[in-house]
Amino acid sequence: MKSVNVSRRRFLQSSAVTGGGLVVGFSLSGCSTNAVPLPVAAAEGGWTANAFVQILPDNTVRFYTARAEMGQGVTTGLATLLGEELDVNPLDMDVRLASAHEDYNNPLFGMQGTGGSSSTRAHFLPMRQAGANTRMLLLQAAASDLGAEITTLSTDNGHVVYAGQRYPYASFIESASLLTIAVDAPLKPADEFQYIGRESRRVDAISKSTGTADFGLDIDIPDLHYAVVVRAPVAGAKMLTADTAAARAMPGVTDIVEVASGVAVVAESFWQATQAASKVQVEWEETDLSGIDTARLRADYAAALDAGDGVEGPDEGDVQAAFAAASTVREADYWAPLLSHSPMEPMNAVVRIQGEAADVWTGIQFPFAVAGLVSRMADIPAENVRFHQTYLGGGFGRRGTITHLAEAADVAKQTGKPIQLVWTREDDIRQGPFRPASLMRIKAGVDESGQLVAWETARAGANISPDTFRTLLPAMYPWLGDFLVEGVANASEIFFENFSTDESSTEGLFEDYDQPNTRVTHMTVDHGLPLTFWRAVGHSYTAFAKESMIDEIAQAAGIDEVTFRLQNTQSSPRRQNVIRIAGERMAEMTVPEGHHLGMAMHHSFSTDVAEIAEVSVENGQIRVHKVTCVVDCGQAVNPDIVRSQMEGGIIYGLTAALYGDLNLEAGAIKESNFHDYRMLRMNESPEIEVVIVDSGTEPTGVGEPGLPPIAPAVANAVFKATGQRLRSLPLKLA
Amino acid sequence: MISFTLNGETVSTDIDASTPLLWVVRDAFKLKGSKFGCGAGLCGACTMHVDGAAIKTCVTPIAAVAGKSITTIEGLGTPDDLHPLQAAWHEYAVPQCGYCQSGQIMAAAALLDANPNPTGADIDAAMSGNICRCGCYPRIKRAIQSVSENALAYDAMAPAGESA
Repeated sequence: MKSVNVSRRRFLQSSAVTGGGLVVGFSLSGCSTNAVPLPVAAAEGGWTANAFVQILPDNTVRFYTARAEMGQGVTTGLATLLGEELDVNPLDMDVRLASAHEDYNNPLFGMQGTGGSSSTRAHFLPMRQAGANTRMLLLQAAASDLGAEITTLSTDNGHVVYAGQRYPYASFIESASLLTIAVDAPLKPADEFQYIGRESRRVDAISKSTGTADFGLDIDIPDLHYAVVVRAPVAGAKMLTADTAAARAMPGVTDIVEVASGVAVVAESFWQATQAASKVQVEWEETDLSGIDTARLRADYAAALDAGDGVEGPDEGDVQAAFAAASTVREADYWAPLLSHSPMEPMNAVVRIQGEAADVWTGIQFPFAVAGLVSRMADIPAENVRFHQTYLGGGFGRRGTITHLAEAADVAKQTGKPIQLVWTREDDIRQGPFRPASLMRIKAGVDESGQLVAWETARAGANISPDTFRTLLPAMYPWLGDFLVEGVANASEIFFENFSTDESSTEGLFEDYDQPNTRVTHMTVDHGLPLTFWRAVGHSYTAFAKESMIDEIAQAAGIDEVTFRLQNTQSSPRRQNVIRIAGERMAEMTVPEGHHLGMAMHHSFSTDVAEIAEVSVENGQIRVHKVTCVVDCGQAVNPDIVRSQMEGGIIYGLTAALYGDLNLEAGAIKESNFHDYRMLRMNESPEIEVVIVDSGTEPTGVGEPGLPPIAPAVANAVFKATGQRLRSLPLKLA
Repeated sequence: MISFTLNGETVSTDIDASTPLLWVVRDAFKLKGSKFGCGAGLCGACTMHVDGAAIKTCVTPIAAVAGKSITTIEGLGTPDDLHPLQAAWHEYAVPQCGYCQSGQIMAAAALLDANPNPTGADIDAAMSGNICRCGCYPRIKRAIQSVSENALAYDAMAPAGESA
């Protein structure tokens, strides 16, 4: 068994601030060289070192979650993995949100980020190993303290059991701190799991049901001032003139400063800041984007598809020969519009700069970016930036961006005041960054036997990755001058326009079926709107195109949708399995007169999902009554959270499928709040049944994979109900 | 100076009378459980009870609640003394991000106070002013049903062995 020394100095450091207790950390990224103290014990007014688990003298087991909790249940999931091997019930743990440190890096990303439905699969082994190693150390300490053979000891929910007596883990932490910690203590076999795979509640449900969970917007510190920014209606437009006199005269206003995105109005309260901001008069420059509306956006994409001059993606076999030999060929275009994420908590951040140091409070998917960004904006050393993670009031990709944090730091620096900068809901919906619009073209060919033989597809639109890169660069390289940041960002844009497809732009458009001949092309058409990842990213639009075309071509070939999908997924038994189970469910369903069933299947984030939507059309309105979701995500660490993520993905996706539509008018987004950017509400929400299929693999993604199949499942049902093939989102009957 | 009752205590404030109740409660009385979501009365994250009725407080000027009784999520129950709806929210693992849930629970509590025996359609009608982006609606509905007077009949319908 390999061992590493637990630093005595580290133990003393941490016990000095926590008032005693064992701190066990593990590095996912090798030895930590980062000397930044971590505010993991902030609630006690102290700081401590690299740590995931603390055991306090009163036997409280404190768990620091490395991943951002935005509702996906990752805190419960990671606590379950650790608790399984440490032998502590996750619901008994004192759960805290970790700060920023390389030891909290996502093993799949190599940096501290949460996204891509990656957390459970990334941590399935490392978090369990941390728990097992900690338990082993406690057993060794107990054996020593009790004068017992280690083989005569067992554990039970935070206690060592010996000779019929239960001893709290905390009784052995003094001794444990002097021992060497195992790095490869054996893990439990799956048939001994007592928490993983069992029905359980969430560790955060009580705080979130009593108003006691702290979100970024709830942070309150002495002398906090509030900032709202008056922003350009057309993205990227520069300010020509600003008249701030009327705003300055408003009650509570203390400062008005210029920031990169416009005019920041600072007041003693958020309400005062918004009232004053409405009095600011700004004249903005006209840009190329100023002449663009949604129809023009779509026409430009269509022209690019027609020109056919794009970047080549995967190209296998000979699609032209295959189309020539195919018995059935279909071609169609599919449209997906611009969308806003609109998490319920509007974007916000608190920044306090004191001398050469700063504190930052915000709920963010990419904590790794905080120190670099604030150091750049505030001109202080990055190691002096202390980050305090909060719960995220919804993420969906939106909280992977950092513009609001840059603005908060800028205003805090300029005014010398602690600042909470808040985006209004109108900012949120109008300013992006958006889910890009896409026009997708698919040509599919089937032979006499019903085998899909050719799939030629192209997508026109803007790329997400270079925009995200542009936003994160200043944080990643705080020492790089603005001019160079701009240059590197432009280079990445040129790269994806001319040399390589951006995976986020075409993922999901061609991978799920067995056709031997495939050709993928991407046409980058970028009008300059800010973009970022939106729940399920490229899959959020490609699944609609792909699964609509699968339905169309199956119908054209005279084969039912289940048989066709089964026949053309023989290389993936797991994918076939969810189709088969969904198909069996569908065959058993009896639906009322006028209700119709539509199916779709999509693979994303290593997970396979098939969905059946029961739909009716009444007075031209599409109504979704029930959704049945069959998911294979490998080992379900917490089955109820898997169900809730499928429910959430379906409702988020159904909102987009039925209502989601941001429109450009003269370069500006027309919609502004929930009255015209409509959300699905309870009275429109379908009944949802989730069937979890466990193929026996390690966990795969659940936060996003429930979303992609819902739009095509509904569209395919609408076709059965009306004969209308709806190829544009949101779905609207002619 | 405007006075009202906040979670059973008489309070007063000299904040500008046009300020929405939400911000007075959050900023002056430091109760942060009620949330800002849209600022336009469209999402329900700010829902509180005003004389027992569920009200969207981001568009309710403080002048309008002078002399009235306000209950916030903090006044409904606490982690150590949960309201039955809060206990149900835990039992049914309702919250995901959790940001909208104070408003959801306040809307649900006002519904059950007025109608202890709501039908599914009653619940839809009472709750359709509250948006949840995480999509917790099916669980919110189940949790409300579990607390309603229908709960016994509702539970009896579940097959044996399934948790209610």
